[in-house]
Amino acid sequence: MSILYFVVQQTMFFAIPLLIVAVGGMYSERSGVVNIALEGIMIMGALAGTVFIHLTDGVMSGQGVLLIALLISGGVGGIFSLLHAFAAIKLKADQTISGTALNMFAPAFAILVARTLLGVQQVPFKNSFLISKVPLLGDLPLIGPMFFQKSYITTYIGLLIFAAAAFVINRTRFGLRLRACGEHPGAADSVGVNVYRIRYAGVLISGVLAGVGGLVFIIPTSTVFNASVAGYGFLALAVLIFGQWRSRKIFFAAFFFAVMKTLASAYSAIPVLKDLPFPNEMYKMFPYLATLIVLAFISKNSQAPRASGVPYDQGSR
Amino acid sequence: MKKKIVSLLLAAAMALSLTGCVSKDDAVQPQGTNEVQEGESVEEAGDSSEGGYELALITDVGTIDDKSFNQGSWEGLKAYAEEHGISYKYYQPEEKSDEACLAAIDLAVKGGAKLIVTPGFLFEVPIFEAQTKYPDVKFVIIDAAPTKDKTTEIADNVVSIFYAEEQAGYLAGYAAVKEGYRNLGFMGGIAVPAVIRFGYGYIQGAEAAAAELGLAAGDVKIKYTYVGNFDTSPENQTLAKSWYTEGVECIFACGGGVGNSVMAAAEGEGKVVIGVDVDQSAESETVITSSMKNLSNSVYQAVASFYDGTFAGGTSTTLTAAEDGVQLPMESSKFENFTQEDYDKVFAAIKSGEISIGNDTLGAEPTDVPVSIVEIENIK
Repeated sequence: MSILYFVVQQTMFFAIPLLIVAVGGMYSERSGVVNIALEGIMIMGALAGTVFIHLTDGVMSGQGVLLIALLISGGVGGIFSLLHAFAAIKLKADQTISGTALNMFAPAFAILVARTLLGVQQVPFKNSFLISKVPLLGDLPLIGPMFFQKSYITTYIGLLIFAAAAFVINRTRFGLRLRACGEHPGAADSVGVNVYRIRYAGVLISGVLAGVGGLVFIIPTSTVFNASVAGYGFLALAVLIFGQWRSRKIFFAAFFFAVMKTLASAYSAIPVLKDLPFPNEMYKMFPYLATLIVLAFISKNSQAPRASGVPYDQGSR
Repeated sequence: MKKKIVSLLLAAAMALSLTGCVSKDDAVQPQGTNEVQEGESVEEAGDSSEGGYELALITDVGTIDDKSFNQGSWEGLKAYAEEHGISYKYYQPEEKSDEACLAAIDLAVKGGAKLIVTPGFLFEVPIFEAQTKYPDVKFVIIDAAPTKDKTTEIADNVVSIFYAEEQAGYLAGYAAVKEGYRNLGFMGGIAVPAVIRFGYGYIQGAEAAAAELGLAAGDVKIKYTYVGNFDTSPENQTLAKSWYTEGVECIFACGGGVGNSVMAAAEGEGKVVIGVDVDQSAESETVITSSMKNLSNSVYQAVASFYDGTFAGGTSTTLTAAEDGVQLPMESSKFENFTQEDYDKVFAAIKSGEISIGNDTLGAEPTDVPVSIVEIENIK
């Protein structure tokens, strides 16, 4: 039984950052701006958050620090993403290229900052954030050990962010306008929607969420931040595509990837999987294979936002 | 019109940035910036007959502050250089390949290096090439000997240093079992000889302690694996955590960044970690001890030998407990049952050769290590 609890707990560490970042990506792409800079933005967010935690070590500790760090990460991620927004929206640059530029810039910048501030490349941080048991809820049978023991507050924040993000994009006026700008910006413009402003908002939201996701990703899985989020920004892009740019599907995609990642790493501790004849690499490949297969089947009627990646020029309407 | 102005501005900016490149030629290796402050750039140093960076270190996949292998070597080199006022610098290959390592060596030589220290197994082929290419430059290669196509040749300008990692691993395994842990783990990085020696030593140390304590067969268990990388990643953290969940009490994290993943897992579970290469006790509360190689000391010695004219070119040495090449840092260790006396005793026995420890020549699999009490579960 403890293995089952372990798998569920561990899945959360993979799923929540993927979910947050992929939902962020959704906001950018559905407003019409391809954002492959998620990886770079995650790095910037994680950098800001871990540096903050490191510097306040000894002064403050506990969940409050983590909450402030998350805000800082989100803020830095948002500001950083504006570079991409400016290039993609104002300068009408190729969005893949400006995104790549951010991805290449971020790790180098993170190393520079860490070396300048701390003298070393790795930012060590003290993890005082693990909740060994949530009061009351942690005592529930079955559900308690799965979701409310050995957890991080970020798990619940991540789920809240997801719920809020899904609501906003599907049920509010702003969400409708944002989606319109990603499908047919000309039409949106013709009824008085400021496409540029909406797209800036979309990229900014994606930056904030990716920044938060970067810190959420690092906290449970390491004791240092070493200028890398191990490709999870790109993985979040895969989740976004696998989830067909729709919030509910993204939710399932994130958890699917997370379960697969957990099983691939921990299969040797899971009695059923241990006896199966599959080599470890099979589990590692599986999420990507599934992505390829799904893409092959649905590419004809892909639900990608139609105007995604196309700079909007009001003059050419 | 607006567009024209913008494009003009852009063109101007590009032109400016180009001249920027020309005038500022210290951009060759941005990683080395902390030494560039001294005022000389790499290229300038190459041109001038004097100056430059006499001492150079080329990192392998890690960086000079990896809190492990590269850092230990770098500290040794730096200590000597600063004591004697010698210029020094490090270079980082752009990628993990023989060509990139060789290019970094070229760069270091151009930068005026007279002695180049290369920590790591990855350098066996590049140094094999470089030792004949640059006969006037001295090389110190750690954890490897210049080898290509299975022929090892150590030229007169090369010193190769090995460590008896099996002894360091032995001390760690011995201490862990003596301390009271029965359910152990070994998470190696990549199965390179040094890592294998650590692992095999660890098994033998645990076995020896179990025998001394009179434990029955199967009382001590070791899970053993190589994760296939030296990275800090959630995958490694998951694996470590799965082991801890299964009941493993103490994992020997033997592979650079892997250690941070294992520490993260241990923190959540209240379990312990054994560090590697350097004293990692400051990294996390969970590190009870570290299986150390005295990297900085031996690099320091090698550099010193170069300057006092005793550079033992053409030889390969293995530093053992007898030369204080390996140890556990007992001052910073968090043992409760394993005492300094215990340590001194076992260390002296290794030093005198009373205890002989098999190394990577025992076989390809950890199960080839002869044990009777310890039960090894080899996970691939």
